[in-house]
Amino acid sequence: MNVADSPLVADGVTLAYDRLVVARDLDLAVAPGSFTVIIGPNGCGKSTLLRALARTLAPREGRVLLDGAPIDRMRSKDVAKRLALLPQGPIAPEAITVGDLVARGRYPHQGILRQWSAADARAVDAALRATEVDDLRERFVSDLSGGQRQRVWLAMALAQETDLLLLDEPTTFLDIAHQVEVMDLCARLHAEGRTLVAVLHDLNQAARYATHLVAMRDGRVVAQGAPADVVTEPLVQEVFGLASRVVPDPETGTPMVVPLRRTVPGSVQDQVVL
Amino acid sequence: MSTAVEPVTAEAAVLPGPRTVRVASGPDGSRGLVLVWRRRPLVVCVVALVVAVAAALVTITAGELGIPLSELPAVVAGQGTRIQHWVLYTTRLPRLLVGAGAGAALAVSGAMFQSVTRNPLGSPDVIGLGAGAAAGAAAAGLVWPGVVPVPVGAVLGAFVAVGAVWFGSGSGFSRPQRLVVVGIAVGAMALAFVQLALARASREDALVIAQWLNGSLAARTWADVRLIVAALVVLLPLALLLTRPLQVVEMGDEAATAVGVRTDPTRTRAVLVAVLLTAAAVSVCGPVAFVALTAPQIARRLTRSSGPGMVAAACTGAALLVVADLVAQYALPEQQLPVGIVTAGLGGVYLVFLLVREFRRSAV
Ligand SMILES: Nc1ncnc2c1ncn2[C@@H]1O[C@H](COP(=O)(O)OP(=O)(O)OP(=O)(O)O)[C@@H](O)[C@H]1O
Ligand SMILES: [Mg+2]
Repeated sequence: MNVADSPLVADGVTLAYDRLVVARDLDLAVAPGSFTVIIGPNGCGKSTLLRALARTLAPREGRVLLDGAPIDRMRSKDVAKRLALLPQGPIAPEAITVGDLVARGRYPHQGILRQWSAADARAVDAALRATEVDDLRERFVSDLSGGQRQRVWLAMALAQETDLLLLDEPTTFLDIAHQVEVMDLCARLHAEGRTLVAVLHDLNQAARYATHLVAMRDGRVVAQGAPADVVTEPLVQEVFGLASRVVPDPETGTPMVVPLRRTVPGSVQDQVVL
Repeated sequence: MSTAVEPVTAEAAVLPGPRTVRVASGPDGSRGLVLVWRRRPLVVCVVALVVAVAAALVTITAGELGIPLSELPAVVAGQGTRIQHWVLYTTRLPRLLVGAGAGAALAVSGAMFQSVTRNPLGSPDVIGLGAGAAAGAAAAGLVWPGVVPVPVGAVLGAFVAVGAVWFGSGSGFSRPQRLVVVGIAVGAMALAFVQLALARASREDALVIAQWLNGSLAARTWADVRLIVAALVVLLPLALLLTRPLQVVEMGDEAATAVGVRTDPTRTRAVLVAVLLTAAAVSVCGPVAFVALTAPQIARRLTRSSGPGMVAAACTGAALLVVADLVAQYALPEQQLPVGIVTAGLGGVYLVFLLVREFRRSAV
């Protein structure tokens, strides 16, 4: 893939918190128009990479390029019109309603003298409907369930109306039906021409929806490419240390990971095997 | 540019919805000035101002020298007695105006600090700003008398305190919890310094400073009025400009950066404006306790808003201090209290309430 075409590039970035270096000299070019999904074990640096791409964490070395220009040199509001981020574990301010929170996604489109417009109203409306939190509009965010809250935050990112969407675990806290709904929503946004970068833990979902998979371990990109090429038995072993079988998903034909049975002495399974 | 109160169309009814008055221009309101006003904060402001004006009228009419309401228009028109003139223009009006102005300044300062720290306990009273001002006053009045006037010492003390909190918390103002803890420590040290200064001072000096330290609106002059009004004229617009970014910063650095707010500059500016507001208030009436803590919280509760509503906080703070001063003047039959004692009593109760709630929350 050509780096020059990529809307978002991490160019030799070293990412660190205080003394902890999470990733060293890491390169990643997000393919234009792709639905890129990052997978990897807990703590391997997925969120950290996403933060760097969204300029909420400044790389210690290297740089991040948005449309070919260094992202830290651009006006923050201009960046926010190009890319939105759903962070992992955001904080809802006290006593804020769903409608108000989602409306904050419109901040980059507003000014001191233009605090609200018909376009803002339309974007908020559409975002609330897309994530099916329309009827929660007047409720306080603090009173919602984890899954409802997650969809509200997603709505806020959608209200930003950006071409690039970075989503850190958009399906956490969601029941299986809502997980599928959110993933379908992502697929639709992708089909409409947006570029998505998401961190997911469910490998089967990742393989189903992604056009590009990026597998990370210990702050390094271990493999990337089409899901069928990336999700293999040796890779799952290498990245997650898990013995598995990879079979075609009966519904879509994409790779599906089935962990091998491990015999646990004294367990029910163990007895059945005996 | 034509301005009109537009009917809220179905489309525009999303967020601000029926609760807003939009001042818009252009055929579809998509051009020019569009300010979002919510009805509730507006009502709260009006009510707070009515309370403040009512308390002011009571203050003017009360007491032996009070001007009856029926004679007030005549006095204002210049027809009253010389004593009435003196009562109105030399004693009561400046006192009222300084009270209202300082109340507003303290409340806005508190609203900004509480927003930056995401914690009601992050108010200037709790994080040592008031204590720092007191220490500065004690240094200027007792330890090194004559170097700078006492109010200037107070302002310097406030800045030293906030600087100590800044450096002590290690990460500027981006770690709210740490800031509160460091602030309490800085406040304790400042108060220890005040005690030391008072213990070493002569009795008369100590009395004068002790009175000032309580925070008092007695014997205010038009010079004080000018100072606080000038501070508000300059600083309130800056506070208003910072309201929207501050609101967004309350969502945490990551989410705020993602929607295009530069978090550190926003916080730094907010703290600077807030310290100047507190310093201005302290220099006209001493470190009146707990207005900065309580007024913005009362305003938030009443407006049910999710951000640091500066205007509502300012109106509430003004009303609070004017009412507190009225109580301070007439609560005891023989004696006037410094207003700071009244607000400390009120605010102390509220602080206990907050702390209990905080403990409950962390115990869950
Ligand atoms: N704010 C922070 N301050 C200090 N260290 C951090 C911070 N956030 C993450 N880390 C550390 O950086 C490393 C990578 O964390 P990161 O959040 O990127 O992992 P992740 O791949 O997203 O994991 P998960 O799947 O659990 O979300 C971890 O060791 C973590 O402890
Ligand atoms: Mg993560």
